[in-house]
Amino acid sequence: MEATVANDEAARNTHTGAGQAGPATPRVSIAVDDTRKTRTLNVKAAVDSLSFYYGQHRALKNLTIPIAERQVTALIGPSGCGKSTFLRCFNRMHDLQPDTRYEGSITLHPDNLNLIGAGVDPIEVRMRIGMVFQKPNPFPKSVFENVAYGLRLRGVRNRATLAEEVEKALRGAALWDEVKDRLQDSALALSGGQMQRLCIARALATTPEILLFDEPTSALDPIATAKIEELISTLRDQVTVLIVTHNMQQAARVSDYTAFMYLGELIEFDEAAKIFTNPAKKATEDYITGRYG
Amino acid sequence: MAETGTPERAAVLSDPMEGHTAKAFDGALTQLRLHTVGMGGLVIDQVSTAVRALLDADARLAQTVLSREQQVNDMERAVDREAFELIALHQPVAGDLRMATAVSRITVELERAGDESKKIARFAARMASGEPQGPVRAVARYLQHMAELTSGMLRDAVLALDDSNSDLADRVRARDSELDAEFAAALRQLLTLAMQDQRYLGVTIDTVFALKGLERIGDHAKNIAEQVVFVASGRDERHKKPQ
Amino acid sequence: MRAVSAGSATASKTVEAALKGKHRDVRGQLFATGLLLMLLLSLALLVVLVVSVLIDAWPTLSSRGVSFLTSNVSSFPEKAGVRQGIVGSIILIMFVALLAVPIGVAAAIYLEEYAPKNWFSAIIEINVTNLAGVPSIVYGLLALGLFVYQFDLGQSIAAAGLTLALLILPIVIVATRESIRSVPNAIREAAYGLGATRWEVTKDHVLPYSTGGILTGMILGLSRAIGETAPIITIGALSFIAFLPQSPIQSEFPFISFAWLKDPFTAMPIQMFNWVSRPDQAFQANAAAAGAILLGMTLIMNGLAIWIRYRFRKKINW
Repeated sequence: MEATVANDEAARNTHTGAGQAGPATPRVSIAVDDTRKTRTLNVKAAVDSLSFYYGQHRALKNLTIPIAERQVTALIGPSGCGKSTFLRCFNRMHDLQPDTRYEGSITLHPDNLNLIGAGVDPIEVRMRIGMVFQKPNPFPKSVFENVAYGLRLRGVRNRATLAEEVEKALRGAALWDEVKDRLQDSALALSGGQMQRLCIARALATTPEILLFDEPTSALDPIATAKIEELISTLRDQVTVLIVTHNMQQAARVSDYTAFMYLGELIEFDEAAKIFTNPAKKATEDYITGRYG
Repeated sequence: MAETGTPERAAVLSDPMEGHTAKAFDGALTQLRLHTVGMGGLVIDQVSTAVRALLDADARLAQTVLSREQQVNDMERAVDREAFELIALHQPVAGDLRMATAVSRITVELERAGDESKKIARFAARMASGEPQGPVRAVARYLQHMAELTSGMLRDAVLALDDSNSDLADRVRARDSELDAEFAAALRQLLTLAMQDQRYLGVTIDTVFALKGLERIGDHAKNIAEQVVFVASGRDERHKKPQ
Repeated sequence: MRAVSAGSATASKTVEAALKGKHRDVRGQLFATGLLLMLLLSLALLVVLVVSVLIDAWPTLSSRGVSFLTSNVSSFPEKAGVRQGIVGSIILIMFVALLAVPIGVAAAIYLEEYAPKNWFSAIIEINVTNLAGVPSIVYGLLALGLFVYQFDLGQSIAAAGLTLALLILPIVIVATRESIRSVPNAIREAAYGLGATRWEVTKDHVLPYSTGGILTGMILGLSRAIGETAPIITIGALSFIAFLPQSPIQSEFPFISFAWLKDPFTAMPIQMFNWVSRPDQAFQANAAAAGAILLGMTLIMNGLAIWIRYRFRKKINW
């Protein structure tokens, strides 16, 4: 089988082109099947031998994946395979629970910061990595205050700046036109789909480097789901997206790269087109065609 | 469906029922495969019957083939529609999607093979009504051999589809060159005959067409084999030389 | 095939009958009626209580009106009023509020948001809940030994205030904890996800959204405190005081005095208790009138609590 993603030294060295100043951003050489040319992409976050423990239980086993910059990477797999657990490593949400432990590294580029490093402050990580949750969870405040909260946390006080950034974020979440006349109304008065887009705007307002989506549409109706999928597609140009979904068609529609996980391990990782037309591993094929379980 | 002991009964269900989550989907896939193999069986029978009709100048056999042509066309439409609906309703991916796509292409190849056998049957009907037998007699051996080869290729291609047998399919593809060689030899024979004796030019030309028809049926069998390889392994072998 | 369809025909007939209401659910209806009777009984008791108090109080209140509220204590029933009682009660509950609420809320926040969930915090939780059930006279005894004598606060507002604050502390803590718990974790996650520290999450989200519950708990605690008699009797709230406690605001420097904390005082329940124990019928009437006043104060406070809860619930609906 041809297309395996290799985060290897050779690729890195080959593609650091002439005239590149500054630290060489590691690149991933992804050779696709022979009808398409090889593409190179920057790696935004390199996951290396990541393991995660809840107490004694090892929930994630030695994961190594490159997360490509400004692409949508989807995590699929049956319930309990660890995809949400994996997602939450990126913004250190596990630190809120007692008795959890990380091993390995998630290296954020270009500054080479290990997100799960022992000396790294989780608050600093969360300032740079945003998250959208499964059930829309806007604060019971006004629409404006919801989006502005992240900015306020970062010390932005100027009213004009706040208003500008809030508008930008709401436009980015394709919600501005629907709420521009009701910015001071309670966020809880919005529909489910609008609330979720508000949560996306809230996360966007702080210009995160990676945006994490944890099954963002599983609580929404099909039309709201379609809008959000459309939105995620457009967000690709601004921010790196990592999305967990149990809906395979959604992964097929939305993602550029797909990772299939099972029982805490990475089974296969490749371009979405390859995974859904001709996956390399039988386990992957069984899962995506519904023969699993 | 068949009158002359057709291969379609030999198309045994060998689908590994591994417990699809959606039983309806599984059933639909199985039915699709079954119907495709059934169409294959009919076309195989059309080919061998048409050649038999030509070699024996048997008008009755020729008529059998001609009367079943409509059935072949109807089956093409029906199976293609089945594949199309399967895609629309079940959103298959990976192997299942490859199967549905391949079936759509295979039905086209089978239908064209059926068309070729129709043409041979028409020629056979004309021969049976008193045309000079000379040219046909001259290449009878080639006709027989090519018919066996081609039928064999079709049969194996359909069998390979039923079993998802990539190796068998590759062997079918390899046999195409043998068929081409046989055709070239038969053509030389006919040319020699035509140059020696120009009385039966019309029949000679028709015979060339018949031989060409058989060669084309072999091409269709090869195309079917390529689709079988696509379903089994994801490799697109169209327009490539077999290894 | 026939057997199956016959069975399903019977089943569908039963369903149809149930839906049309022809099938009587006797037990269900009896149960509902029983519940209703219990409710009416409770309400009836409450109504009887209130009405009897009002009936007893009516002669005094109607004849003396506002002067009852503004007159001082006196040996003469027709001149005695509840002024010291009301003032004492009000000062007392303000003191209690200032003490119990900050301590109680802070304790609850710590227990809910900051304390690690282990066996130790579980023990604390059980004990706090138990404290709410300790008889109030025990608190009185504790106060007598500790505040009145050990801390040498004497029989003063300070001692009474501390005692009552201790008494209602568990109520405030439990109410605050419940309120904090009702803030969904999803909100906290959202705030953490944006990069908030634990302090910011508590300050910007948990506390503001639980304010309704906290205020309700506070007012319920205070309305209990206002009626507590046993502990403050034990401390020795006097029932006959000629003067009010000193004003905390003075005209000279430093303008605020704390002398009032150590002044002797009285409160409404004490006043009532004292009057009831006198043989003179007129004092009994006064006691009833004071009771009506106290009842009124309590009802007002509870009504306030309900109104606050309603207002906050409108804004926040999880």
